[in-house]
Amino acid sequence: MAAIELDGLTKRFEDVTAVSDLSLTVEEGEVFGFLGPNGAGKSTTINVLLDFVRPTTGAVTVLGHDARAESVAVRERTGVLPEGFDVYDRLTGRAHVEFAIDSKEVDDDPDAVLERVGLADAADRQAGGYSKGMRQRLALAMALVGDPDLLVLDEPSSGLDPAGAKEMREIVLEEADRGTTVFFSSHILEQVEAVCDRVGILRDGELVAVDSIDGLREATDADATLSVSVGDPVGDEVLAAVGNLDGVQSVDRDGDGSLRVACDSDAKTRVVTELEDRGVAVTDFTTEEASLEDLFLAYTEGGGVAEADAVETTDSGSPESAADDVEVRQ
Amino acid sequence: MSWQAVARKEFRDAIRSRWLHGSTLFFALFLGGASALFFGVLLPPANRQVSNLFGFFANLGVFSFSFPALLALVLGFIALSTSYGSITEERETGSIKLLLSLPNSRLDVVVGKLLGRSTVIVAALLVGFLATFVALVATGTRLQLGAFAPQVALTAILGVAFVSIGLSLSALADSNREATLATMGLYFVFAVLWGSIAEGIPKLLNYTAEQVGMSVGELTRVKLGVFLKYVNPLKVYETLAAGLYYEPARARLLSTTLGERAVLGSTLQESMPFYFTDWFLFLLLLAWIAVPAAVGYWAFEREDL
Repeated sequence: MAAIELDGLTKRFEDVTAVSDLSLTVEEGEVFGFLGPNGAGKSTTINVLLDFVRPTTGAVTVLGHDARAESVAVRERTGVLPEGFDVYDRLTGRAHVEFAIDSKEVDDDPDAVLERVGLADAADRQAGGYSKGMRQRLALAMALVGDPDLLVLDEPSSGLDPAGAKEMREIVLEEADRGTTVFFSSHILEQVEAVCDRVGILRDGELVAVDSIDGLREATDADATLSVSVGDPVGDEVLAAVGNLDGVQSVDRDGDGSLRVACDSDAKTRVVTELEDRGVAVTDFTTEEASLEDLFLAYTEGGGVAEADAVETTDSGSPESAADDVEVRQ
Repeated sequence: MSWQAVARKEFRDAIRSRWLHGSTLFFALFLGGASALFFGVLLPPANRQVSNLFGFFANLGVFSFSFPALLALVLGFIALSTSYGSITEERETGSIKLLLSLPNSRLDVVVGKLLGRSTVIVAALLVGFLATFVALVATGTRLQLGAFAPQVALTAILGVAFVSIGLSLSALADSNREATLATMGLYFVFAVLWGSIAEGIPKLLNYTAEQVGMSVGELTRVKLGVFLKYVNPLKVYETLAAGLYYEPARARLLSTTLGERAVLGSTLQESMPFYFTDWFLFLLLLAWIAVPAAVGYWAFEREDL
C-alpha cells in the first residue's frame, strides 16, 4: 500500500497557485526526499497532507485515509516536524512530550523520548528558553511519540548545527530501518542524498522529476567539469580557442598548472585534442561527475523567480555538496 | 478523547501566566476586600448579611448600580483577555502547527481551549470567593447560602461565557491585532452601548411600522426593549443574581428606565411572560457559552492555517 498518494493536487491561494496538478506516490517504508527551492510549494504540499490547508482540487490519501475527512486518523499514525512552528514558551520540554503522549493516547515514557533527541538534561526547563536547535529537537521528540508509521519532516535540519543535523539524520535512518515511511522536504542537497531512497524535485508548484539519486544523474544530461593538468602555463589565445569549441561553456585557469573546463560530456575529447594540437602538454585530466547540486540546478533553473531562489538556495548548500562530488579518474 | 489533552495543555500553560496570577490576586483583593470593608467596617452588625453586598442593587431610573454588575464587568474583562488570543497567538507564533500535528481535531482544539481556559478563570474566581468566605465568617456575617452559593455558580458560568466569546473572536480574527480590536469593541458594546441599542431597536421598529400605516403598541415595545437589554450577558447575569435575592418581577426591573418601569411594573406582577422567567434567562446565559463556541468552531474548521 502507498503511504502517501497525491492525485492532481492543486492549491491556489488568493493570487498565487502554490501547487499545480501534483501527482505523487510514496511507497510504504520508503525514505522520500522532497526537494525544491524556497517557495516551490513543498510546505504547502506537506500542509495539505496534514489538513493544515485544504486542496483547491485533487485527491490526497495518507496511510490509506483521506487527508481531509480522516485527518485525525492520519495524524494518529503520523509524526510531524512542521516548518515555521514554535513551542509553548511556558511549558517545559517534558510537558510538551506529555501533551503529545496524551493527544496520541499512548503510554510512552517522556524521559526516554527526550533522551533519544538529546534533551534529557533540559526536560524540566521551560521551552521558551530553548535555542532554535533545541526547539527543533523537541518537536522531533513529539513527532517520535507513539512510534509513527509515517514521519513527515519539513526542513528538519533548519536551525541545527552540523552535529545536530547529523543526529537528526541518524534518527531518520533508525526510523526508516524499523520500517517507518519518511517524507521530508529540504533544500539542503547533502541531506537528501545521504538518506533518501527517492527524491522528487518541485519547481514553481510543479513536480519536475521523481527518481532515485542515481536515476536522476543518468536522466539528466548535466554538464561535466573537466579538470586538465598541463605542463606549462597556458596562453590567452589557447584559452580562447578552447572556449570557442563546440559544447564548451567556460574555461578558466586553476592556478598555473591546470585548467577547469565546463563542457558537455562528449566535448571532452575535443578539448584535450585542441590543447595538444596547440602544443600544450596534457599530463593528466579528470572528470567530475555532475553533483546533486548541478542536477538540482538543472531541474530548478529556467523559471524567472525559481532561478533566483535556486541560486540562493544552492549557495548555502554548496560547501557540503561540493565535498560529495564523485571524482572519476579517466 | 483528545480534547482532554488539549484542555490539560491549555490549563498547564495558562496557570503559569503572570496575567492569571495577577487576576487571581485581584479577585482575592476585590471580592475579599469588598466583603471585609462592607461587613467588617461599613455595615452595623445587625445588617451583616450577604444580601447587603452581593444582593445590593440600586436603580435610580437614570442610573443603576450594583455590586454584582461591577463584578460582572471586571470578570468579563478578565475572562475575555484570557481567551481572545487563544487561537490567534498560536497562529502567530506557529505553535498551532504543533497542536494540529498531533491527532487533535479542530473540534478538540475549540472544546479543549474552552474548558482549559474556563477552568483557569473559574479557579481564579473561586480563590476570590474563598477570600470572601473567610471575610464573611470572620465578620460573623449571615451567609444566606441558599442565594450566595447559586450566585457563585452563576458568576462562574458568566466567566465561562466570556471565555467562549473571546475564543470565538480569536477563531474569527485573522490576526492577533484584529482579535484585540474586536474584543475591545465588543466589550465596549456590552458595557456601555448595549442599553441604548436595546432601547433604540423597538423605536426603530415602530418608526418603520408607522411608515406603512401600522404601529407597535407601547407595551410590546417596552417588553421587547427590556428583553433585548437582558440579551447582554452582563445584564442577564445581573438580573439572574438579583432573582436569587428578590422576587422575579423586581429582579426583571433592574435595568429598566423609569418610563419602562411605569409601563412594565404592574404587568410583570400579574403574569410573567416566559421570556422573562428565571429559567429562560438562565438558558440565555448558557447560550452565551454554546453559541460563541459553535461559531468559533465553524470559523476555525473552515480556515487554512
